[in-house]
Amino acid sequence: MAKFVTIGERIHCISPVIREAMATRNPEPILKRAKEQLDAGATYLDVNIGPAENDGEDLMKWAVKLLQENFDNVPLALDTANKKAIEAGISVYNRAKGKPIVNSADAGGRIENIDLAAANDAIVIALCSAEGIPSDNDERMMYCQNMLERGMGLGMDPQDLWFDPLFLVVKGMQDKQMQVLEAIKMFSDMGLNSTGGLSNNSNGMPKHIRPIMDSALVAMCMMQGLTSAIVNPCDLRLMETIKSCDVFKDNTLYADSYLEI
Amino acid sequence: MPFNQKPQKFNAQINTVTIGSGEKAVTLGGGSTFPFYTFDAPAENAPKVGVEITDMGLEGMSAGIKAYYDGAATMGEIAKKASEMEGADFVALYLEGGDPNGADKSVDELIAIVNEVAAAVDCPLVVEGCKNVEKDAELLPKVAEALQGKNVLILAEKEENYKAIGAAAGLAYNQIVGAESAVDINLAKQLNVVTTQLGVDAKKIVMNVGTACAGYGYEYVASTMDRIKGAALSQNDAMLQMPIITPVASETWSVKEAMASEADMPEWGPQDERGIDMEIMTAAADLAAGSDAVILRHPQSVATISKMIKELV
Repeated sequence: MAKFVTIGERIHCISPVIREAMATRNPEPILKRAKEQLDAGATYLDVNIGPAENDGEDLMKWAVKLLQENFDNVPLALDTANKKAIEAGISVYNRAKGKPIVNSADAGGRIENIDLAAANDAIVIALCSAEGIPSDNDERMMYCQNMLERGMGLGMDPQDLWFDPLFLVVKGMQDKQMQVLEAIKMFSDMGLNSTGGLSNNSNGMPKHIRPIMDSALVAMCMMQGLTSAIVNPCDLRLMETIKSCDVFKDNTLYADSYLEI
Repeated sequence: MPFNQKPQKFNAQINTVTIGSGEKAVTLGGGSTFPFYTFDAPAENAPKVGVEITDMGLEGMSAGIKAYYDGAATMGEIAKKASEMEGADFVALYLEGGDPNGADKSVDELIAIVNEVAAAVDCPLVVEGCKNVEKDAELLPKVAEALQGKNVLILAEKEENYKAIGAAAGLAYNQIVGAESAVDINLAKQLNVVTTQLGVDAKKIVMNVGTACAGYGYEYVASTMDRIKGAALSQNDAMLQMPIITPVASETWSVKEAMASEADMPEWGPQDERGIDMEIMTAAADLAAGSDAVILRHPQSVATISKMIKELV
């Protein structure tokens, strides 16, 4: 099995520093966050430019070139509701280190992002939801099937659809957590890749608790067959847990310095 | 139903490492298939064969080996003959006389031999320490210094002395670093990690992951090499993508099958033939398991293994 893929989530326009840097095309704060995440062991970097309705295409092109030129063609997840911006980003994207990821499609209003990924030989994150939170795993798996068939119908390799079970917040939806884990197992049994915003589980918890909850959940998810997650790679406890689970899963060969590489 | 060949493709490859310089330089590694899987992809660089000589001259060598070197009186002459052996790609000088539990030659004495050998051959050179970790920590940095500019492979640093040897060979004197572990996949990887953490370029490291003579716990060697190639290719593990060199001769010529005289063991047949058999069997198995280079002594073994490689790639 391949190593668990971490997608670093810290280049996000919700952060005032990043939003400002994107608006003024100031490379420094973005490069700094990219470097921190890559040094911490991220494989992919997510680039969230928000809705970017005005200058999304220009902004995404700028961000893709900036990051790939400075970090040896680091593979990227292009994260925006603006489809044209994703396409613009892909048009300047270098695939040497991995295909671009379209973040994201769902089984409802954003299903056309699967078509976009298919047309551009990209990976797509396929969120198993249409409107709101799926009520149970029958619903999740129906969405999964719909999106899988759509992608394959367009000639996509099933491995390029990364299914997102939709991670739920513990505070409020504690009783649904096992469902999410079971959905991951179902994806895995079908031989599918999976990913998602895992830290959603710990939303609203005290800062010192979140790494503990995230680490426990990622270990359980990896046991279930989760192949990737969108995370904060600067969370040391989480990254140590992922690397350790990769050893247990025989995804990587153990060496005493395994945490340092 | 017609047979559809599906090549096994990996998005990873073994590093290429060049030893020596000029026309006779040899390049190890570079492949992205399992050993000799030429049906998956053409071989990048065929495995290489080295001829081992030692600072102890011909002392203790078998009759057939002595016969080949007949007339060679000095280390320089022995080295030259070794480099001219049919099938030889490089010469490996084993400084066994440095062992404090053996001849315990001084570092200066050994460096003089190293210089004499280096001057006598125009092929790439591998220098093997005496295997005593303290002595090698002192000796091998001096060897790396003495041979500056020749791009030699220094065999080898171990867990106990990698800082001294790795830093001298890989950083100060820009040679190729041999990293030796004893049939232990985790340690093989760890040694590469800590060596690169010293600042040594991963593409200047060649591994000796340990060996044994066929019949002497050899299956551990085969499974170790197999596991390393598997991780290097299928898991794209950069800390295991170094080519592998295996000193075969020192193992195979020290087992009873190779050492017992025909007078003691008449039913075993001629001693030289037994030694050659052990050397060839072990080397062939090492190559099939993943070695990118083997080090042998007997001219017949060198010729045979070199022919085997040519026929297979």
